[in-house]
Amino acid sequence: MREMKIKKKLSENILDKFSIDFLRNQVLKNAYGNDDTVIARLDPRILLVWYLFIGLVPWFVNNLWFLIACFLLVLVTTKLARVAGLVLLLFAIGVFTQTGYLLIVSFFFGGNTSTIIPLLILTLKVATCSLASITVFSGLDPDRLSNGLMWYGCPERLSFSISYAYRVLPMLMEEFQNILLSFRMRGNPPAHETFWGKVKYLFYQTKIVMHAFYPLMLNTAKRSRTTVEALEIKGYRYAAVNKNVKKIKLSSMKITYNDLLFLAVSFLWISLSILASKIF
Amino acid sequence: MELVKKHTSTQSQKLMVFVLTMALYGLATLFTELIPKFQVGVVEFSVEFFLFIPLTLAMLFDPLSAALGAATGELVFSEIMLGQFGGLGELEKFLTVTIGVYIAGRMVRNPKNRKMVGIAAITGTALQLLMGTIVDILKVQFAVEDFEAVAGLPESVFATEGFAFLNDLLFSGILFCLLPTLFLVPKLYGKIEPLLGMRPRDEKTWLGGINIKVIMGAIIAFAVAAGAELLASSGTSLIEWEAEWAESGTALVVGMVVAAVIAVITLVVLKCKAGKEKAQ
Repeated sequence: MREMKIKKKLSENILDKFSIDFLRNQVLKNAYGNDDTVIARLDPRILLVWYLFIGLVPWFVNNLWFLIACFLLVLVTTKLARVAGLVLLLFAIGVFTQTGYLLIVSFFFGGNTSTIIPLLILTLKVATCSLASITVFSGLDPDRLSNGLMWYGCPERLSFSISYAYRVLPMLMEEFQNILLSFRMRGNPPAHETFWGKVKYLFYQTKIVMHAFYPLMLNTAKRSRTTVEALEIKGYRYAAVNKNVKKIKLSSMKITYNDLLFLAVSFLWISLSILASKIF
Repeated sequence: MELVKKHTSTQSQKLMVFVLTMALYGLATLFTELIPKFQVGVVEFSVEFFLFIPLTLAMLFDPLSAALGAATGELVFSEIMLGQFGGLGELEKFLTVTIGVYIAGRMVRNPKNRKMVGIAAITGTALQLLMGTIVDILKVQFAVEDFEAVAGLPESVFATEGFAFLNDLLFSGILFCLLPTLFLVPKLYGKIEPLLGMRPRDEKTWLGGINIKVIMGAIIAFAVAAGAELLASSGTSLIEWEAEWAESGTALVVGMVVAAVIAVITLVVLKCKAGKEKAQ
């Protein structure tokens, strides 16, 4: 009896945590909550160069030493960036679904231990690249990130999208939740005690989510018109292609000793790993 | 002005459609990214559960803006914001979503014609899924060294990918892409366009059906997508990275380590000096 109670309480607790509010908090925390970390203070341009190396080179290398060293490096930077827990959980699930399941399947089709080494290398590659991107893209503040991308000549549309997305997302989530709640208030969900009832309930929930997009689409259409009109008043489409505007916008970025130190330490670590792969 | 004015939408209206699709599809893909993927046995249900949003909007508004908006939304909200950015490989997802949505949007002349809307919706979904499947198979073939030599791997990849494609199309494609689009398009038609200051799509404002140009464009884009994905995940087949190392010898690596150590020390000294000067 008591066990049942604990079990019930535990499942309630998990469900409580996994609400839309929780998701919103995690996303916001990921975006704005960690601008005082070592990684967040680095120059976005330097971090993007670093990412280009760590995110690309492991794909071309099959040396186990080198891959493990890269993996350890990004592990440290991820720790330094203080990434939200949910993102790390998603990372773990993602790596598993990308290569972990292949391992099991190839056992199923008569594989043996020789399957493990190539798949381990593949897993290390995938994990290193995802962690590097987690460090750069969640560690940086969205505005700094979009400035950095713009400096490298990414389309203005992309940096606008990044800045806009972070600002509009909390609003959209709240609105979506309100619509869902109002559906729930007026709706009459099917009883879900039996198995068949549970299936029916799942379909009912899915239907509500689909239906909720109807008002959401209309509201967002109105909002996006307001946004674009406000942008037009400020001359957005001309400013986006004007070089002087871009210059003013990007003048806030500055490379400090910390940035160079970060690059140098990474370089040291990587060359040490190459040395290790030579010696052993 | 009236004479010059065409029936197609203006630049700022295109931007509105872009922002609208980006925000909505971004929000939706964020949810799908956050919900752990459910697996039955070895098969993963990895469909774009919310592809009906860009499909609907592409059928009602300018298809290209909607398609690009959807792809950007997914990139920004679910990849960059959650730090799951996969580098060059993301180009594949970006382009396949764009092609699928764009072609579905071009197919519909009269959004009130349910039959055509249904055919377009399922075609767009099928295209997107099929391109993803082809690229996935090629990817594993290139990424794992000696693909044929690993026992049981080729069969397992073909089996899982083929089954996942059929399963996604028949189960989730119908349930999550076809039905909601059929529900939303006629319902939104004539209601959502005035909110963006546009005229509903009819014979005059229609862009014209699929022609050779569209198909060629789609094929080229797909080739680029597949190329990018393969480049992102190919092993040493493209660049003989390891061979270079083997020849470079230990001396060069030691040199690299020494250079890195010197760089780190110099930077630390310079930083301390700068800090002292600031303090004074």
